[in-house]
Amino acid sequence: MLSRIAESLFWIGRYLERADGTARILDVQLRLLLEDPWLDEDASCRALLSVMGHPVDAARVDPVDGREMLELLAQSDAPSSIVSSLAAARENARRAREVVSTEMWESLNTTRNEVVAGRWRSRSPYRLFAWVRDRVAVVTGIVDATMSRDQAWHFLVLGRYLERADMTARLIAAQDARGGSGAGWPLVLRSCGAFEAFLRTYGAAASEDRAAEFLLLDRLFPRSVVHALLEADACLAQLSTDEAYSAARLVGRDDARRLLGRARTELEYRPLAEVYADLGTHMDRVQRVCSAASDAVAQRFFPGGKATAWVREHS
Amino acid sequence: MTGFQPPRRLRVEHRTRFGYDRTVAASYNECRIQPRTEPRQQILESHVAIEPCTWRYDYVDYWTTSVIAFEVRIPHDTLTVTGTTVADIAEAADPPQVDWARLRSAQTTDAFAESLVATARTEPVPEVVELATEAAAGKPPHEAARAVSDAITAVMEYAPGSTGVQTFAAEAWAARRGVCQDFAHLAVGAMRSVGIPARYVSGYVQSHSGAAIGETVAGQSHAWIEWWTGGWYGWDPTNGKPVGSAHLAVGRGRDYGDVPPVRGIVSSAGQSRLDVSVTLTRLR
Amino acid sequence: MYRPDGTPRSGYTSLHQSLARLTGEELRTRVETLARTYVDQGVTFDLGGEERPFPLDVVPRIITAAEWGVVERGVAQRVKALEAFLADAYGARASVAAGVIPLRLLLSSAHFHRAAAGIEPANGVRVHVAGIDLVRDSEGEFRVLEDNVRVPSGVSYVLENRNSVSQVLPEAFSAEPIRPVGEYPFRLLNALRAAAPEGRSDPTVVVLTPGIFNSAYFEHALLARTMGVELVEGSDLLCHDGSLFMRTTRGERRVDVVYRRIDDEFLDPVTFRADSVLGCPGLLTAARAGRVTLANAVGNGVADDKLVYTYVPDLIRYFLGEEPILPNVDTWRLEEPDVREQVLDRLDELVVKPVDGSGGKGIVIGPDASHAELDELRSRLVADPRGWIAQPVVALSTVPTVIDDHLAPRHVDLRPFAVNSGEEVWVLPGGLTRVALPEGQLVVNSSQGGGSKDTWVLGDRDAPPTMPMRAPRTAHAQPMAEPDVNPDDSRGHQQQQQQQINPGRSEC
Repeated sequence: MLSRIAESLFWIGRYLERADGTARILDVQLRLLLEDPWLDEDASCRALLSVMGHPVDAARVDPVDGREMLELLAQSDAPSSIVSSLAAARENARRAREVVSTEMWESLNTTRNEVVAGRWRSRSPYRLFAWVRDRVAVVTGIVDATMSRDQAWHFLVLGRYLERADMTARLIAAQDARGGSGAGWPLVLRSCGAFEAFLRTYGAAASEDRAAEFLLLDRLFPRSVVHALLEADACLAQLSTDEAYSAARLVGRDDARRLLGRARTELEYRPLAEVYADLGTHMDRVQRVCSAASDAVAQRFFPGGKATAWVREHS
Repeated sequence: MTGFQPPRRLRVEHRTRFGYDRTVAASYNECRIQPRTEPRQQILESHVAIEPCTWRYDYVDYWTTSVIAFEVRIPHDTLTVTGTTVADIAEAADPPQVDWARLRSAQTTDAFAESLVATARTEPVPEVVELATEAAAGKPPHEAARAVSDAITAVMEYAPGSTGVQTFAAEAWAARRGVCQDFAHLAVGAMRSVGIPARYVSGYVQSHSGAAIGETVAGQSHAWIEWWTGGWYGWDPTNGKPVGSAHLAVGRGRDYGDVPPVRGIVSSAGQSRLDVSVTLTRLR
Repeated sequence: MYRPDGTPRSGYTSLHQSLARLTGEELRTRVETLARTYVDQGVTFDLGGEERPFPLDVVPRIITAAEWGVVERGVAQRVKALEAFLADAYGARASVAAGVIPLRLLLSSAHFHRAAAGIEPANGVRVHVAGIDLVRDSEGEFRVLEDNVRVPSGVSYVLENRNSVSQVLPEAFSAEPIRPVGEYPFRLLNALRAAAPEGRSDPTVVVLTPGIFNSAYFEHALLARTMGVELVEGSDLLCHDGSLFMRTTRGERRVDVVYRRIDDEFLDPVTFRADSVLGCPGLLTAARAGRVTLANAVGNGVADDKLVYTYVPDLIRYFLGEEPILPNVDTWRLEEPDVREQVLDRLDELVVKPVDGSGGKGIVIGPDASHAELDELRSRLVADPRGWIAQPVVALSTVPTVIDDHLAPRHVDLRPFAVNSGEEVWVLPGGLTRVALPEGQLVVNSSQGGGSKDTWVLGDRDAPPTMPMRAPRTAHAQPMAEPDVNPDDSRGHQQQQQQQINPGRSEC
């Protein structure tokens, strides 16, 4: 398929997952601000903004409140806000219009139209988050139910899982940054639909420490970092099947796979206590690896897509 | 007296070299530097070397000029195009003449429509039109054409380097200076304004007519004109002389834009330097 | 739709009945549903950076089988003549030698591209797709308003309008045999494949678009999708060794036919505009070398020239030896001095058009123009008589259109589309009906407050359709077993029922 189209599909996957992940992260934060009277609003909002890549100027004196954070991460024109992500997903689909099914396109288009209309600006943020999760679930469902498992689908899913690993890492980092009692973990689990699965998995042993472990390492839970990294790797393996060098035999020659594999084994085989001791740093590493893997994918599959500047010459 | 004159045999080497200060990844070009055999000139040998070049395609364009389209798809810092031609060139024969009525007939104006319309490069300013009208007044077409060209030649100063390939006639006229291309643009523009079909010719000229046989001298790629007053007649407005056995034609068109020697695009944000050299050797 | 006596015109009877059954409220609901369909589907055009839906009127425009027969034959005839003319214009120029068309006219056309000379189309076709604009005069006769053989657009609306209207007005469809439009993409793909360079047995076709900001992007994507080919932008393409390739995730892949939806001037920066990033350098050389086919061909614009248009009836007679089936609209050539004088005297009654414009650009409608506008026009005509033509104001036919909850007459034109495969010129039964929404307006264009209508060409009940549908293999389908259900499901129900019963018993 065309490199440019593959790139668009990859980014549709990433943007949708980003909108979804951001909605989940914000949901936890806003609920905690409401429910945890000991939480320092200013400090925790600053911490979250920093985790989301929007650090507040340290010199700033006036406090950051939930409203401001919500505006920036959900509704502003900032490049990674929920609104921007949904619009960008739709723009990418528009670019890849002829490989995207009509159903999927219409779903993305109506989603973006509602965003543009700004109707839910007046509604409660929880309804917004629920709506975003629903819309992303609908599109994801259409993708999985209607797209052939060809390259197009694999690029989209690769984008989805790379972004998911990144987003879950940020979710964990955000909870870690809020610090304190760890009262937030159940909410974190709930925000990604993991609460029941977590309880079933750990039973009586379920504790707050284990929540981070579950979200990080559980191979079966679809939103865990390790699961996302495994799925991304599987996509890359599929995309490489007809390469001159067999990806199955020389995984290490594929930059993206090597990066993801190393990050995953770091998490899986390092003593858990070490990871816990510096959760923030480890999550930051996951996020960087996802970004580097994304660049490696671009370099390999989407080269030369940039328009060349031509200069006229004559004698 | 019109005794038989053996044709002049010339060897022309035309080298164009682009040097780039930043490596160029790719370029796509066309060159028009190969003369073709025609009544006044016979091509004995002709080849074009392009270095580097990954693919080339030869064809003859709308104006019946020989063109080489070529790609350079490897990184390069210089691009050199060298055309070598050996040709026998005869003196021009005098064409038949028609009167103004024939020249202005619907049949003639339609047949020579392309040589009668001003282009942006040749568009004469009112002053030039006036000059041409005065010069042509009361003369039969051929003499009128000659007078128009001479009027331009008389006013313009030949000043190498004063203009570039993209200079329009109007700009050169304003400066009253220019090179062969400007003289040719001005002359065809002026001629068309008085209803004489005229066209732009690109080629080479051996300006040192005194050079000995076998001696290689520096020459130049040159431009002159042809007008039609019953048959095409070549005239060199820069030198104020008829075109003869020292002139080797490459191509004809409405103006420079139809017959640029090398033209193309490069994928580069850097600067380029252009070196052009033409050497001529009279072989006979 | 109606005769002067108020009865429905031929062809409109059953539509009239269907519409008459609708209440005003129902009509409004249908109109709203239709409007929403296009916004939801993103069927939009780009106007000044803003995406807008192209207004679609719920009332179809109907053309009877007999009327269509004339249009179909007339359009095909015209396309054949324009093909012959283009081959001649860039080749032998026999029509010039025979005195049918002045050489001067050809050479002075802004779209006569000398770079196109020598590019020989593989199967001889230059006009793979044509859109011939027709109007219906007060006598009810179709006349040709202009020819579009460069990159005619609008066919996506023909396809989408049918889809939308069939959903909103299904009852009217069952009443009439309406000829389907859905085969257009197949016809186009076949024509494009047939145009592939020699020796390419399984050619790769692409649609080349300027990108998502182009007003017709939706159409480009629709055509690529329905033909099952790649939609490429200039940056996806590259030429090497004289062939065209596209960049894919598995390396470069050869391209054989480019259905390009960008103008000549942007195709190849080597030959045309060096600042163009929409095209691909080397493309023209690849076409010249016969390695790739451009559809439509470069340089076709000379046949769109509105001054050339005035010669098309003569070109039909010259090349085909036939009388034109569809007449032109009367047109004055301003190059002829006495004609020019007449036109200048009557500017306020005439329509004046630039010869190389399209899409209604630059048109001045005399009766609507102010004195100042006419004065300015007059001086422009005198300065450049080659650049303009004049036509009488054609009393365009009107078709009922929903305006604020009720039906009102609005002016329409018709752009039928023709596809030339080299073997046959096929005319899509339908075409784009554009309607001028402001009352009395005569320019029907999307950029000037225009909308569109579904165009129904009625089939002949007695004549079979051109592409017969395959009948079902057997009258009755093979009976199959009922779908499986989870046997546990019934147990689930029982459990639920017990649970619901339990609370009632807990009191004891």
